[in-house]
Amino acid sequence: MTIVEEPVTEERSALLARLGLDGQNKASMGRVLATGSIAEATERADGTMEATIRISEDEICWEPAILVLPHGGVLELTVINDDKNTHACLLPSNGDQKFLWLVNHSKGRATINLDGPGYYWYSSPGGNDEGRGLTAAIVVQGEVPPEARLDRPEQPRP
Amino acid sequence: MTIEYVDAGEAINHSALSAMPGIAPAVTDNIDYERLLKARSESQNWLTYYGAYDGQRYSLLDQINSENVSKIAPAWIFQAGQAGQIAGASTYAFETCPLIVDGVMFVTGWDGWFWALDAASGRELWRYKHAVPFDVSLCCGNVNRGCAVANGKVYFVTPNAQLVALDATNGDVVWQKTIGDVRAGESASIAPTVIKDLLITGSAGGEFGVRGHIDAWDLETGEQRWRTYTVPKPGEPGSETWPADGEAWQRGGGNHWVTGSYDPETNLYYAGTGNPAPDFDGEVREGDNLYTDSLVALDVDTGEIKWHYQFTPHDLWDYDSTMEMTLFERDGKKLLGHFDKNGYFFVLDRTNGELQHVTPFVDRIDWGVITRDGKVTPRKYPEKEGEPVHFYPGPAGAKEWTHAAYSPKTEMFYVPVADVGATATRRRREFKESMPYWGAGVAVDIDDMAGSVSAFDTHGEEKWRWRLDYPMAASVLATAGDLVFAGTPTGEFVALDARTGEKLWEFQCGSGHHGSSSTYSVDGKQYVVVPVGWGGWLEGIIPGMLGAGHGSALIAFALPG
Repeated sequence: MTIVEEPVTEERSALLARLGLDGQNKASMGRVLATGSIAEATERADGTMEATIRISEDEICWEPAILVLPHGGVLELTVINDDKNTHACLLPSNGDQKFLWLVNHSKGRATINLDGPGYYWYSSPGGNDEGRGLTAAIVVQGEVPPEARLDRPEQPRP
Repeated sequence: MTIEYVDAGEAINHSALSAMPGIAPAVTDNIDYERLLKARSESQNWLTYYGAYDGQRYSLLDQINSENVSKIAPAWIFQAGQAGQIAGASTYAFETCPLIVDGVMFVTGWDGWFWALDAASGRELWRYKHAVPFDVSLCCGNVNRGCAVANGKVYFVTPNAQLVALDATNGDVVWQKTIGDVRAGESASIAPTVIKDLLITGSAGGEFGVRGHIDAWDLETGEQRWRTYTVPKPGEPGSETWPADGEAWQRGGGNHWVTGSYDPETNLYYAGTGNPAPDFDGEVREGDNLYTDSLVALDVDTGEIKWHYQFTPHDLWDYDSTMEMTLFERDGKKLLGHFDKNGYFFVLDRTNGELQHVTPFVDRIDWGVITRDGKVTPRKYPEKEGEPVHFYPGPAGAKEWTHAAYSPKTEMFYVPVADVGATATRRRREFKESMPYWGAGVAVDIDDMAGSVSAFDTHGEEKWRWRLDYPMAASVLATAGDLVFAGTPTGEFVALDARTGEKLWEFQCGSGHHGSSSTYSVDGKQYVVVPVGWGGWLEGIIPGMLGAGHGSALIAFALPG
């Protein structure tokens, strides 16, 4: 997995820190969502994607805050809880949401299947972990299959 | 010292942490075209979206009738609830129509939900949850209107324009097909229809300037069999109703987002189409704009448009015509009735589209006039940039997508009527793919509104009216028990005498109604089931109820014992 600094610029990171938006019990009680890092999943030759998501000690947030996939399909996740509290993981996946119980200092796996394009939230569905910061995004890039596109010339986009 | 991680194992299905068994009886295995043709005669079941191909929403069941309906009470309640974040969290609504097959109920929900329930107890048997992107474009809410059943499978669409076939015994995916372009603003909410070996669907997204289409898919494989665009390309029939040198047709709308009806004798699928885009700025799309706001009669084998009838040429008020096309007979003639958003009831010869007559069905209509022989004269419409124009009915129409019912026993239509106006101010905007493309600012009246369930004979003469203070926003159901069931925006589910309109029974369901009830029986006991979950395009339908609580319940009623 590659950690990408952009487009979270140095200036934005510094501002988040100065205002206390990127941690627990600073400006707000929890960490404002999607203020953490951004990472891209890696892709195996067969198109299956892989990534690791992690809860760090006393951060109560997922790292990365935004995980980017190049296309829809199968994603294999390693899910790590490095915190000294128990959390969980509830992930979107076609068919059913996937659930993983994460006691302190635990590591598990999840295999999910997502359509693209679009983005999805996942979370830790206990107490108000979701509001404190344990809600993060998976972004799926790409276009729909060519046969699903409208029969019309290319249109301007925003 | 490094401490080994505790092994948390492999993530499991969320539903594994529930009481559902994950399996249902194989009730759809022998549902085929022949059985669907006779769906009404299987009165213990509700096999298609409207209960039968004719779109009547009429059941032969009469165990619950006008004599005893006052005694019915909830038999069970299913509550869906929610976990995690969803698209349109403020707009989700329970707009479905439950199907019932030999004691098993198949129910779609918002945000990609599908449930199989025991129809006698309400117990959840299995579930399917499609992952729907949080950022999918939704004109009017995170909603779905229902499913289709055949050949051991159930079929439904998702908000991100996926068509999914599931094993009806366990909810496992059999096949999945992408049927629209979410980057273009397309979505899907229609209940599919099984006809022969085809599955018919349509697209949503007219408010984003897409090009509407109706599609047929192979029931077994999901392969596309035909696609018919509802806005013609230059040179195709109907293209003369669009600007010849412009790009308007490419973004013309005309989406088929509500299930059509079907007549096996004409072999035609009667599909309603939606508004043109941009909704309120007609200057960029001069002409009648075929086949928007129309009934298109498609050869079900090829998708060819055999004939059409346009209810609102060159629409400037957002008057979709997607709502039900109800097939009925009168004096030996094969007819079709349609209550349009524009406030008029149309009766056509369904063999050729010839207009029989037009009559108004709501008190306040001032956008224009349609004469009994179909001549349309617009009077009030957004024309000048920045100039507000008020008109009746508002953009949700005198009847929104929710359905009327027709009883062949009483020979009357029962119509959920909305009487509310709106102000539109034309504001031109440049087209950009995926951005809302309305061409106006719109505000629907918040303090002057009314509604009713109104009964009309087939000539359009009103026979009775059950009034309420709010526009009706849920489908009506008629039964051979001389009953009409309807849900109100304020939560009451009522039974009316089909002959007089007298209210015979009501139950407060705890949330507004914005879906379609159905009726069925199990082991000889009749039930009436209604989805309850307020939401959707409330700012268009009833902004005065925008702050009412949402719900997510399915309630089945029956006689005691």
